[in-house]
Parts: sequence; C-alpha cells; structure tokens
Amino acid sequence: MRSAPESTLEEPDQRLYVPEMARIVSAEDLTEFERLFEIRLPEGRDLEHVPGQFVQVSMFGFGEAPISLCSSPVKTGSFELCVRRAGGLTAALHGLGAGDMVGIRGPFGNGFPIDRMQGKDVVIVAGGIGMAPVRSLIQHILADRDSYGRMIVLHGAREPDLLLFTDEIESWGSDDRNEILLTVDKPVEGWDGHVGVITTLFPRLKIDSPSSLVVAMCGPPVMYRFVLLELRSLRIPEDQSFLSLERNMRCGVGKCGHCQVDHRYVCVDGPVFSAAELAHLHEGI
Amino acid sequence: MSGHGNGQRMMGIVTTQGVVLEASSLPKMLARMVRTRRVMAPVKRGRTAFAFDWIDDPAEVALGYVRTVLPPKKAILPAHESILDFSLEPTQTAAPIIDDEPFVLFGVHPCDMSGITQLDWAFSRNVKDPHYLARREAATIVALDCMPDEYCFCTSVGTAGTRDGADLFLTPIGTGFMVDVLTAKGAALLEEAPALREPSAEELAEAEAWPEEKARCITRRIDGDIADLPDILERRYESDVWNSTAERCYSCGTCTIVCPTCFCFDVRDEVNLPLTGGSRGRHWDSCQFLDFALVAGPHNFRGKRGSRVRHRWLRKFEYLHREYGRPFCTGCGRCTQACTADISLTDVLNEIIAEVNVGVT
Repeated sequence: MRSAPESTLEEPDQRLYVPEMARIVSAEDLTEFERLFEIRLPEGRDLEHVPGQFVQVSMFGFGEAPISLCSSPVKTGSFELCVRRAGGLTAALHGLGAGDMVGIRGPFGNGFPIDRMQGKDVVIVAGGIGMAPVRSLIQHILADRDSYGRMIVLHGAREPDLLLFTDEIESWGSDDRNEILLTVDKPVEGWDGHVGVITTLFPRLKIDSPSSLVVAMCGPPVMYRFVLLELRSLRIPEDQSFLSLERNMRCGVGKCGHCQVDHRYVCVDGPVFSAAELAHLHEGI
Repeated sequence: MSGHGNGQRMMGIVTTQGVVLEASSLPKMLARMVRTRRVMAPVKRGRTAFAFDWIDDPAEVALGYVRTVLPPKKAILPAHESILDFSLEPTQTAAPIIDDEPFVLFGVHPCDMSGITQLDWAFSRNVKDPHYLARREAATIVALDCMPDEYCFCTSVGTAGTRDGADLFLTPIGTGFMVDVLTAKGAALLEEAPALREPSAEELAEAEAWPEEKARCITRRIDGDIADLPDILERRYESDVWNSTAERCYSCGTCTIVCPTCFCFDVRDEVNLPLTGGSRGRHWDSCQFLDFALVAGPHNFRGKRGSRVRHRWLRKFEYLHREYGRPFCTGCGRCTQACTADISLTDVLNEIIAEVNVGVT
C-alpha cells in the first residue's frame, strides 16, 4: 500500500495553474466560426511544443479552455491558435485582436509521434476544425520535407466556406510529393470539387505498402469511427494510425478528472492515441 | 499497521508506549490550540448530524460521532477555493493563492485518515498540486479511533487501522484517550496537553483491544478479495447492473460530494464588482453530473446515466485501484448513507462480484 506524501524533495510549482500573459500579434477570421490568432510569449520565447499538443488559453473573467497548437514549432518567436467559437470563452476570444493579451499555460499532452513518421508516407485526415492541430504537423513535415515520403492530406468540411487554410492548402499541393484531397458534405453552387463525407475520398488513395505508411487524424468521433473502418480495410496496422481525442480538460495536468477516458487522462496520456491504444478504450470515441 | 504503544514511526520520535490524555484535560488542550492557530474539529449539527468545522470554543467539539456529513478533506481541499487572483487592468497580471497557514485537524477517524492519504497520492503523483500540498503541509492531524455503524465497511477495504498521515493517534479508553505520537509535529502539539500520564496495564489492554472490538461490529462487507476487483470490473464492463443501478440514480452527485476520496474539480472565474479584477476558483465537481464529460459540438462522452454510474465504480475500484495498489475508497459508508435513491456502494459491487462468481459472461 502506498501512503502519505513522498518526501517533498521536489517542491510543487506554485504557478502550476497560473497562465503566463502573452500578446496577440495578429488575428483574422478564417471562417464564420473560426478565428486564427498569432500569439507571442514574453521576450518572444518559444513554446517548444510538439505538433498535436495543446495549451490552456485564459481570458480572465471568462475562464480557460484547451486549444490545440496550430503552428509548427519550426516557427519561432510566436505560435498560432485556431479557435472555433463554441461557448462563452471562445466567443469572448473572438472579440480579441492584435495587441490584446491572453493567458497561456502549457504546452500539454503528448503530441503526434513525429519519429514514427520519418521516412514514411504520411496520410493526414482532418475533419472541420480538426485541421488546426494537424496543420502544425503538416508545417512540420513541409519544413523538413526530405525526411518524409509522400504526404497526403484529406480535409473535409460541411461546406466549402468552412474548409480551413485553403490558401495554404493550395501551396502545399505545389510539391508533387504532396497530394491534397478536399471534400464537402453538401454540394453548393460554385463548388466543383468532391462532395461526400471524408471517407468517400479513400477510394482515391493509392496505397502501395500499408506498412510503410503512418496516418494522423483529427476530427469528430463519428469521423474516427468511419475512417478507422477504412483504415482497417486498407490493412494499415493499428499502431501506425494516430488520432487526437477532444475532451473538456479543465486543469491540463491530470488532476481535475474531466478528460478521463477509461483509465487514461487525455491531457497527460493524450490527446494523441494510436488506433491500437484506442481499441482498448471503451470511452474513446 | 503498527499496534498501540508503538508510536515511533518518523522523525526519530520515540515513545515506547502511548500516554494517557484524560477527557477532562481535552477542553484545555483545545483551548490552547485555538489561541495559536485554526482548529477544525467535529461539531454537532441539528439533532443527529455532525460536521467538521472551524471551532472557536472547545465546548463545540463533539468527538462521539460516527461519521460527519462531509469528510474532513474539506480542510485541505475546500469545496470552493480561489487558486489565483487576476487583474483586469490593461497590463493583466495573475498571482497564485497559496494557503499555508498552519491548522489542526482534530478527531479524524481512520477511514477519513486513509481518505487524506489517498488524496495525498493523487495530488502528489506526476505533477504536484501546490494548493493542496501547501494546506496538507500546514495541517497537524489528530486521528481518533471510532466505533462503526451499519454503513461502515472499512475492514473490507483495509482502512480500519489507518494511522499513516496522522500526527497523533487517539484511542478512546475509560477515562480519556490513549495517545500515540506518530510524528514530530504530533509531539509538538501534545505539548499543549495540560496533563499526561503513563497508562496502566488495564488501559493499555483496553486500547489494544479496540481494533478487534471495532472489527467485530462491522456488518457490511465486500464479498471477496479486493485485489480481484479491477479484473472483475473490467470483465463486467457491460454488466446490466450499471443500467439497473442507473434506473434508480438521480445523478444528483451526492455520492461524490460526500466522498473522502473524490477529487474531481471544475475551474471558474469570478470578477469583482468594479470589474478591475477577480479570482479563478476551483470547485468540487461530480462525474455524475450530465455535463461532466461534455465538449463543444456538443458531444457528451458520458451522456447516458449508466455510463456515469459505471464510471464511479470503475474509477474507484479499477482505474485508480490499479495505479494506487488498492481501492480508492475508505469504507466510510457516506455515499450509501447519503444516497437519495438508496443505492448501496457495496451492494452494487457485490452484485457485480456475484455475476462473476456464477459465471455470467
């Protein structure tokens, strides 16, 4: 039986829950619901994050919420967050612009396993706002392009106006090692691209060797359920597919209990899990 | 667990055997304590209830209680606490609020002592929580042995004799208490006792007999070896017991609010009236509430009541059990006594265990 506090050799950090104040360098609306912020820590210090990690963003008086890092750590001096307006805090954040301050804690969580992707083809599946965390990964790959094989990005949204980072997406596609596949759920006038949920893009994937491929995905639970079925039929090993789980992290340090999935804490053990790990979690998706 | 008269445990304090504190000396000791620091002790509330509360007057202290409505964890993890102050002035600033003012927590039963050591683990592992640990360091805890009622099942979860984490341990004897000194903090506190004397052989025997007598009085139990519970619960994840229990549950959260080992919390900001600043607070939360696992979308990962009910048992007897090495439960019986729907923690566990025993798959 374990007991009592271990000797307090290491003193607790008194500022564990205190955010650091950071300045918004710029802000722009990407869609009706999403706003992109570029944020600078004091002295332009780097967050030193891994793609897939998140920060706790504070607006005093409104609260704090977990937001995924949207830029690659390759970008120094500042970082980016893409915030969907979904509640009181995020609505308040949407009212902020260049020069305003926000509080930042983190980065938290594990992030995508970059090491596992090197030398491999990388398939990235992003549903809606799920594009934000994987954009960090995409930028990371582009900055060190020769270390990876093909990069195939699948991005879907309800309608064309809700596709994220469309300007950048075009530039990503200019390298012939990259392939970009976009889709929208509903046909809209003026859209001549693919229509259908994201899994309807899978028949277009040309996969030569499932074992030399890594999948990174971010989207709603329903997307995961169907994408995982596709990946299974493509015989992509479960320990080579990774997905990011969304939960209501209140503390970010494995204490508050809100993000618990079975015995795991999404804020500490995740948010990125392999499909193999997910198979052992009842509450994952 | 060490027996009586074996108080030497930490910090080189050596007491070959306990000392006797007469009941008549207790008010004076408490009076001295309240002069120098805050003291939380059990007091009577209404006709039948007891509560831990900050006391001014030793006469308020009611040591003859079976269980308090809320466990004494509230002294260390308050239901509501401010964890930081913030300014809303143009240069926004924030500073942590750390409460490290010394206090005495008096009259804590072994089960609740175990609850505190379980929380010590939860708030120390991986990342250390500065707010909890500051209060914990500031606490001097006087434990008091107890007599159970029909809700107690401490003997089933191995907490009946918990002394770990306490600074002094009191066992009731004829004219007062046998006092075992467990730490240097405890020894220092005992200096406030006006008169202590050596125990007689009869008194030593009386104190020695207490744990057995207590164990004999306990009627409620978990059927089977608690070490098997994680595997049993894992196997019975899809049991109908969760749904049948959920059909009675109101999701009121009372079970988690009265629990000495529940520590989930929510975080909320409050702004002062001139809107110049405010504080960020953390507040006890409950995994039984509908919105506990709700995210934007909206997606509710435990939208079904059965999934929330199951989560409570699994967290205590499977998830945290595997990590902590024993159930995250003290056997105090509060959840069962307080349940508005008359759901018994041990009955539900025993139903699950019975399913496995009869080979339900």
